[in-house]
Amino acid sequence: MSRAAEHTESAVPSPRNNAGGAAAEPPALAERQAALVAALVAGASDPAGFDPARLTATRRALLRKRAGAAARAWPALATFFGDRWASTFAAHHAGRPPGGALRDGWDLARALRAELTADAAAELAEREALLRYDGKTAPRPRRLGRARLALGRLTRPTR
Amino acid sequence: MRGKSGQGNVFRARPVAGSAGPLRPGAALVVDGVGTGWRAEIAGWVAAAPGVGFCEVIAESIVPAGPPRGVVDLRERGLPVVPHGVRLSLGGTDPLDACRVAHLAACAEALDAPLVSEHIAFVRAGGWDAGHLLPVPRTRAALDVLAANVARTRTEVAVPLALEPIAALFDWPEDELTEPEFLAALLDRTGALLLLDVANVYANAVNRGQDAYAVLDRMLDLIAAERIAYVHVAGGSVRHDEADLPGGALYHDTHTDPVPCEVLRLLTHLVERVPGVPVMLERDGRYPPADVLSAELATIAAAAR
Repeated sequence: MSRAAEHTESAVPSPRNNAGGAAAEPPALAERQAALVAALVAGASDPAGFDPARLTATRRALLRKRAGAAARAWPALATFFGDRWASTFAAHHAGRPPGGALRDGWDLARALRAELTADAAAELAEREALLRYDGKTAPRPRRLGRARLALGRLTRPTR
Repeated sequence: MRGKSGQGNVFRARPVAGSAGPLRPGAALVVDGVGTGWRAEIAGWVAAAPGVGFCEVIAESIVPAGPPRGVVDLRERGLPVVPHGVRLSLGGTDPLDACRVAHLAACAEALDAPLVSEHIAFVRAGGWDAGHLLPVPRTRAALDVLAANVARTRTEVAVPLALEPIAALFDWPEDELTEPEFLAALLDRTGALLLLDVANVYANAVNRGQDAYAVLDRMLDLIAAERIAYVHVAGGSVRHDEADLPGGALYHDTHTDPVPCEVLRLLTHLVERVPGVPVMLERDGRYPPADVLSAELATIAAAAR
C-alpha cells in the first residue's frame, strides 16, 4: 500500500494534518479499522486479537438496529413478519453491508416476494413503481413513476 | 437569543482546570437544568414537558435551512437546542467528509446553538459504513487521528464542541490506556468539552467487569468538572438471549428501555461530585406514553438534584 509507505512513523502526524487537512493516518490503524468494519458488516473474518464473542454480539446488535430502521421504512413488510421480523431480517442480511433502511427492506421484500401478504406486496409494488432500484445502488425516481403507480392501483384486483 | 460568537469567546477565556464549586463557577455553562433529546415521534411530549431547560437534536436528522417546526418552536421559546452529530466519524482514519462537517456547522448556525456534540468513535472505514458508532483503540495513534479530526471540525464549527465517549460491546487488543486516561488525554489535547453519558459509563463498566463508580471517579479525578458540558442518561437492558455467547449476556445501551436504577444511582453519584451539571434523557424508540416519559424525566431531575 503506497499510503502505508508514506507513514512509517505512525504516531507522528504529518504537517498536512497539523494544517487541519485530512486525519493523521497511521497505516496500521487504518487497516485495522477497515478490517474490523468488514468483519462486522460485510462477512469478512474477525481481525486478529479481538474477542470473537464480543464481535458476534456487536454484529447482532448492528443487525437489530438495521432491522428497526427498515421496519420504519417498510411498515407493511414488518407487520407481515411480526415477531419474526428481527430474525428474518438478520438471517437475510447477516454479512451484507447496510444499504440504508429503504434498500435493506427492499432487498428483503424482493427475496421473499412469494411469501408476502397483499399489504406487504402492495408496499413493494408501490416502491417498484416510483423508484428504479438496481439492487446495488441508491434507488432513483422513475420517469412516469406516478403514472405507473396510478395504473397499478387501477389494475390491481380489489381485496 | 444568546449570541454564539459571544458564547465562544466567553468559553475560551475561561480556565480549563481547577475544581468546581457548588454552582460550577468557571464552568463552560452553555446549557442548564434538565433536558431531553428532541425526536419527531415525541415532539408533542417535548413541547409540553414541564421543566425542560434544553434539548438536543440529531444533527443528521435535520435540514439546517428548514429545521422541524417543533425544533423552531423550542428555539422561539428561548430553549437552547444542541446539534448532536452521530455520523461524523471523528475517530476514523478516512478523511472527514467535508459535507458532514459543513452540515454540523450549518446546524449550529441555524439553531444559534451554544455548542455542538459528537462521539469519540468511528463509523466507517475502508469503504464500508457500519451505520453505527464503533470504538477506537485507546492508543496514541488513535489520539492523533481524533485530534486532527477535531481540529478540522473546529475550522468550520464556530461554537464549542463536546465529545461523548460511547458504549461499546468490545475493546481493541491494542489498548494502551484506560478509558479515563484516554479521555483526559484527548480533552487536554483538543481543548474540547466532555459530554459524559453515565449510561455509557455504566454499560462499559458492566461489560468489562469493572466497578462503574471507580471508573467514573477516575474520570472525575483526571478531568476538571467545568469541562463537562452536559450529561446523557439513557435506558438499556441485559440481553438474556445472548447467554449462548462465551462470556454470557451483555448489557446493551439501547435507548429504548427505561433507565435502570443502577444508572440513576450512578447519576446521583456524579451529581454529588459535579453539582449543577446539566443532565438530559436520551430516548430513541419504543416510546412510552407521555406520562411515563414525564415520570422518567422527573426521576432523572430528582436524581440529579
